[in-house]
Amino acid sequence: MSPTLAWGLVLGMAITNTVIRLVPIAAISRLELPEIAHRWLSYIPVSVMAAIVATQVLRPGGNWMLRPDNPYLLASVPTAIVYHFTRSFFGAIVAGILSFLALRYLLG
Amino acid sequence: MPPSHAVDIAPTRHSLLMRGARLGLPIFLVYMPVGMAFGLAATAAGFTFAQATACSALALAGAGQFIGVAALAGSGNLAAALIATGVVNLRYLLFSATLAPHLKGVPRWQQLLLAHTLTDETFAVNIADARVGRADRFSMTGVGLISWFGWTLGTAIGAAAGSAIGDPSKWGVDFAMPAMFIALLVGQITRRREFVAGALAAVLALVLSAWLPGQWPVVAGAIAAATVMTVTPR
Repeated sequence: MSPTLAWGLVLGMAITNTVIRLVPIAAISRLELPEIAHRWLSYIPVSVMAAIVATQVLRPGGNWMLRPDNPYLLASVPTAIVYHFTRSFFGAIVAGILSFLALRYLLG
Repeated sequence: MPPSHAVDIAPTRHSLLMRGARLGLPIFLVYMPVGMAFGLAATAAGFTFAQATACSALALAGAGQFIGVAALAGSGNLAAALIATGVVNLRYLLFSATLAPHLKGVPRWQQLLLAHTLTDETFAVNIADARVGRADRFSMTGVGLISWFGWTLGTAIGAAAGSAIGDPSKWGVDFAMPAMFIALLVGQITRRREFVAGALAAVLALVLSAWLPGQWPVVAGAIAAATVMTVTPR
């Protein structure tokens, strides 16, 4: 990772994130978003998360891993179960990493 | 309420800030370990300690940061990485607009601070507090500051530990980001249509990855899925 690229991301992200969050507040929401825009935005987080999970789990490192012994795919099951029942990010990440390590060891 | 009484119990700025900090304490406790996971993930992707910590302190973008770093590490394309994180954070337009009526007459610098510390969790806490008529600009600032501190401190610890560990992949850090996103995804699915949107976006992203490089399949898949869900009848 070149320092220019990394700092470019840090500063670019700082600017875009602050602008996205500040503009509606600063405008005191004089513009009322139409209902259809609310609806579209409401689907964005779940769509983005699902697309990321699918590509990270089935194409780790950018290459297809469509195998039953894919440790990313198998470890995602305990991760999801732990989060579903505990609602703990920390617990889910720990459970995911531990099962990923165990699976990678067992599956070679 | 009689004025004399109001003067007697009028809370100071300090007590309001502290009240907000107490409200935000659970967020602090969640952000510390997730921030650590980001610190680890960022250093695993080639970020230095300073870059990872500055990223959290200046952006406070949670999932957007994981996505931005993953996109940059995967593609080396800065524009694609910024667009990916921007798309993930589009929902903040909505949060910000929802919060705006509660921030009338608030000085610009404090609006900037509150915008900067606006996250899913601070939004949820502040809106709930505002509904019962208690939230004010100082308590919201307290919520924001303690959350910012937890996220930044966690990142610094994770990034420092990351450089001490050496090759992080032997500790399973490869799965830290997927695990985080899986938890976020499970948390997002509360209705059947959200499940459908997610499934559609996942399939589209995987199909599009045959043609599009880097994180573009994710961005395009998510935009297409949200659009389909919006225009189809419920």
